[in-house]
Amino acid sequence: MEFQISNKAKKVTIGLMGVGLLLLIVGFFFQKEYMFPTVLSDHEVYVEYWGDQVEKEADVKKEAEEAMAALGYELDFGDEGEEHEVHGHNAAEEHGDAHSEEAHAHQAPTFEWHIHIKHLEVEGEHVAHSVGHGHDAAPSETLAHMFSNGDIAMSDSHFRRFWSNLLVNGFFFFGIALGALFYLSLHYATESGWGVVLLRIMEAIMSALPLGMIVLAIVFIGATLGLNHIYPWMDSDVVAHDDLIWGKVAYLNKPFFWIRIICYFGVFAYFMNWFRKTSRKQDSEDVEKATASHFLMYRRGALFLVFFAVFSSTMSWDIIMSIDTHWFSTLFGWYSFSGIWLSAMIMIMMVTLYLKHKGNLEFVNSAHIHDVGKWMFALSFLWSYLWFSQFMLIWYSNIPEEVIYFVTRIESYKFIFFAMFVVNFVLPMIFLMSADTKKSWPYLIFIGLVIFIGHWFDVFCMVMPGTLYEEWNFGLLEIGMFMTFLGTFIFLVLRSLGKSSLVQNNHPFLEESKHHHG
Amino acid sequence: MTDKVIYAMYDDDDVTKEACQSLVDNGVHVADVFSPFPIHGIDPIIGIKHTRLGIAAFMYGITGLLLAIIATRYFMVSDWHGINIGGKPNFSYLENIPSFVPILFEFTVLCAAHGMALTYFLRNKTLPGMPARNPDPRTTDDRFVVEVRLAENSNFSLDQLNDMIKETGIVEIDEKTIK
Repeated sequence: MEFQISNKAKKVTIGLMGVGLLLLIVGFFFQKEYMFPTVLSDHEVYVEYWGDQVEKEADVKKEAEEAMAALGYELDFGDEGEEHEVHGHNAAEEHGDAHSEEAHAHQAPTFEWHIHIKHLEVEGEHVAHSVGHGHDAAPSETLAHMFSNGDIAMSDSHFRRFWSNLLVNGFFFFGIALGALFYLSLHYATESGWGVVLLRIMEAIMSALPLGMIVLAIVFIGATLGLNHIYPWMDSDVVAHDDLIWGKVAYLNKPFFWIRIICYFGVFAYFMNWFRKTSRKQDSEDVEKATASHFLMYRRGALFLVFFAVFSSTMSWDIIMSIDTHWFSTLFGWYSFSGIWLSAMIMIMMVTLYLKHKGNLEFVNSAHIHDVGKWMFALSFLWSYLWFSQFMLIWYSNIPEEVIYFVTRIESYKFIFFAMFVVNFVLPMIFLMSADTKKSWPYLIFIGLVIFIGHWFDVFCMVMPGTLYEEWNFGLLEIGMFMTFLGTFIFLVLRSLGKSSLVQNNHPFLEESKHHHG
Repeated sequence: MTDKVIYAMYDDDDVTKEACQSLVDNGVHVADVFSPFPIHGIDPIIGIKHTRLGIAAFMYGITGLLLAIIATRYFMVSDWHGINIGGKPNFSYLENIPSFVPILFEFTVLCAAHGMALTYFLRNKTLPGMPARNPDPRTTDDRFVVEVRLAENSNFSLDQLNDMIKETGIVEIDEKTIK
């Protein structure tokens, strides 16, 4: 019952990391900072920019001019004085803002343009006519579209997409490892017998916990040092001007945040290591000692569940919910926990099927696979139930500071947000309802992989609207980083599987598990 | 047509299961097992077909869902058109569907659960007031009874069956003639 990571698996996972890293590096240089257009009339667009890269204004102007010239239009970026009159700003104040340190202080845009669009006169009328599609929409709409979907934009000097993706992937893969640890301790605490032959797989998955913890720690350190602005409450300027955040300072402040994070990571890492060590020690013990070890793990399992019950909630508040600092939901902890648990269950299923396929798990029969399939089915419902409960209550009560969460998501992330929910809810419901499909490998692999990706998008929708607003994108950076993390994670799991026997020979319930039937 | 039935009684579920296994291995057909609780893994041994109760439950659930959709649409949109609850007037069913999802869900579960329970009782002929069909009242307490019918085991004589059963760790054995 030994397993060694095969050369092929090594090549595939390292290849995944390598290709992912390559895509990630390419994607890294395509991060954008948007400018926000308002269409005033068919030939007038108002554009504002809130970032701090004033020096690039001329470059972007040129870019916009070239893009519109290709369509047969000429742009007049209203002159400064006129613009200020139009919007009633004090010119001096505006000027001061743009050049001060607090360019992002949320009072006025760094710069704003009042663009008048004219037909290009150089070659006479036929220039405009020769470019047919310029006439389909009003030129101002065309220009506004270029700004709002990022065709004309600044490059992002804060690398927000990179940091946000780091948080998404860090949390997702941290969650999978944590979910496996949770399920393992649940298995011990409830003295379950059926899954004993799967415990080593859970151990291997949870041993990849440091990957997520290190990445999350990097994000938190970056946030604390001001390298990224993922957590608005870490910015003392923002807090000083924001009553709602000011009211939460007792909980959301840097020292207490770090105390909590160190508590979570310390407790999780301690239990992860302890369970692995004890179960390996148990392998070489005699019956009496092994039984004593089992009862010790039974008590520690229950103890971990107590910590996990509190930490899983507060952890999701700290890491994810505090991104949208104004917003709060009492269901959020459960909602993100159900996603974590489900992703972990899918990972357990996939690793089990892989090892079974390789012929390494002689004691795993179709009843074990059926049971993990039942978990995937049931947890999909738990997740959908909690997702909908959160959505429906907030939608119904319609309180501004609550409903803003869904307004952002529906305005800017509509497709991903609803498609993700439908896929994660309907697909398992239809295809995993029958007992036969829950035992069928092709079904389990297909549905499992689709909802695995679906739950990655769930985390994407938790994080991105709070960090990138409408400036999100899905491209090489996202795909590359996901591939890198997936490759690393699977590599760590498979390597860890090779470090011990795949069966816990001295587990008191091993016989029960071997004879498990549906 | 009369038939001889042997009731073999056991006092442990594992012994019962092993007894069934050894009888089946000898070529005996076991008609049924009476037990105070479900014995895991006995169904495939005595050759009981997989239940279709799940399919029935699915049908009841779909029925409940449809009924609830028709009802909520009639009550809240057609009949009381535009009643304004919480600033969300019910002009359109689709736009208000989140507020109906809880009742759709609950009614689906209600129909599935009740339909399933009633079907189960009906199919097993155990509706309240129906005569008990277990051979011995102790099978609802702490005893397990295996039923073997002579007519279904024409390869064996009554004595052969009795001998085989007596080797399986029984606590009591009973023989009845049924019509």
